[in-house]
Amino acid sequence: MGNVIEVQHLSKSFGNHEVLRDIDFSVNKGEVICIIGSSGSGKSTLLRCINLLEKPSGGQIIYHGENILDEKHDIHAYRKKLGMVFQQFNLFNNHNALNNCMVGQVKVLKRSKEDAEKIALKYLKVVGMDHYVNAKPKQLSGGQKQRVAIARALSMEPDVMLFDEPTSALDPEMVGEVLKVMKELASTGLTMLIVTHEMEFAREVADRVVFMDKGVIAEEGPPEQIFNHPREERTKAFLKRTLS
Amino acid sequence: MSIEYIISMITNNWPMFLRGAGMTLLISIIGTIFGSVIGLLAGVIRTIPTPERKLKRVVLKIVNLILSVYIEFFRGTPMIVQAMVIFYGSALAFGIDMDRTMAAIFIVSINTGAYMAEIVRGGVISIDKGQFEAAQAIGMNHVQTMWSVVLPQVIRNILPATGNQFIINIKDTSVLNVIGVTELYFQAKTVAGISFKYFEPFFIACILYFVMTFTVTLILRYIERKLDGPENYSMIGQPPP
Repeated sequence: MGNVIEVQHLSKSFGNHEVLRDIDFSVNKGEVICIIGSSGSGKSTLLRCINLLEKPSGGQIIYHGENILDEKHDIHAYRKKLGMVFQQFNLFNNHNALNNCMVGQVKVLKRSKEDAEKIALKYLKVVGMDHYVNAKPKQLSGGQKQRVAIARALSMEPDVMLFDEPTSALDPEMVGEVLKVMKELASTGLTMLIVTHEMEFAREVADRVVFMDKGVIAEEGPPEQIFNHPREERTKAFLKRTLS
Repeated sequence: MSIEYIISMITNNWPMFLRGAGMTLLISIIGTIFGSVIGLLAGVIRTIPTPERKLKRVVLKIVNLILSVYIEFFRGTPMIVQAMVIFYGSALAFGIDMDRTMAAIFIVSINTGAYMAEIVRGGVISIDKGQFEAAQAIGMNHVQTMWSVVLPQVIRNILPATGNQFIINIKDTSVLNVIGVTELYFQAKTVAGISFKYFEPFFIACILYFVMTFTVTLILRYIERKLDGPENYSMIGQPPP
């Protein structure tokens, strides 16, 4: 199992507010990692730093042996290897479901329209949205939008999929359909990094759970350890708050 | 004044009115199109995020400064005065004898460009940040993001404001009579000069201006509906229950 991404001593501040402090952590190929923690603990910021939507203030991010924070490194080439799914879906409003999954392939990966369409349809089928290829985002429900957004990210055939609280903006009845798709993806051996508040999901799907608190990784380990035998007091307190 | 007199004035002078209206439309259409292109370019440049590298940052700053001067100057002075300064000034300073129609199109274009630059900038700002982030996250650069994702939405959103600008241009070309462009107001004035009647020719011009602006309004509404696409979408096959 090789390292895909290795984060070393990562820090991030907004002004003089320190959001992340000295984060060390790595993502192995084929691993499903869930990041949990209370709001404001820096989970999302960590994810956004990894694909450089936020510029880290310090530290290194090593991707396949190269430091992507190096000034000479091509950010766009790196980003296309990471799939990102946002809390607010962020589908392109001017494109229908199919084009949402095609535009990146055609513009960034320079695939032909025919290939891009084939691949887009394949992944729209994976998320169960192949019947809705003609629908514009405003015509879809939240859960449907998020599934298209997952298909859009998968269509780029990335090394790693990043999920930033993918179900937090959904109505409760739609959470299930998105989690179901994610469970299926996890079972295919896709490398996934998921920021989530869904504890049951994390327990079931994750190979490793990372608990963050106040900008640091407080504890990490297999779900069995984190949920059943947490070592840190902070983890215990957090789980008591959220699971009760 | 009588209805009969107005009708006879039209029947006697219709080629002049028609040529005037044609010239007004020509100047305002081309001016609006060029102006919109200038506005789009300027608006896009002014919304480029601050680059990391120092050299690029300095270049962008200089370009932005030039654009600001352009926008503020042309928004901040009357078009009638600009027309005089540019048309007579170019003759005086560089010995260029501009074609009057060309000069008119040039002046309307750069004026529209200055207003459109701000309209476009507003349009880009109004696009939710998530759209930019999603495009960046799949590896698009600024130009790709703008072209495939942001500008199509901006253009849809600024269409009403662009229509406004078009209508303003149709009306405001009338000030270009000061440099002798034979647009509708100039022609109406000429007819008035020949006939010694003032109400009738300008009344006819008034009607013609309204017909032109209202037609543009209707066409733009139609385009907006077309761009919005159908309310419903067609399903491919049957989704599972």
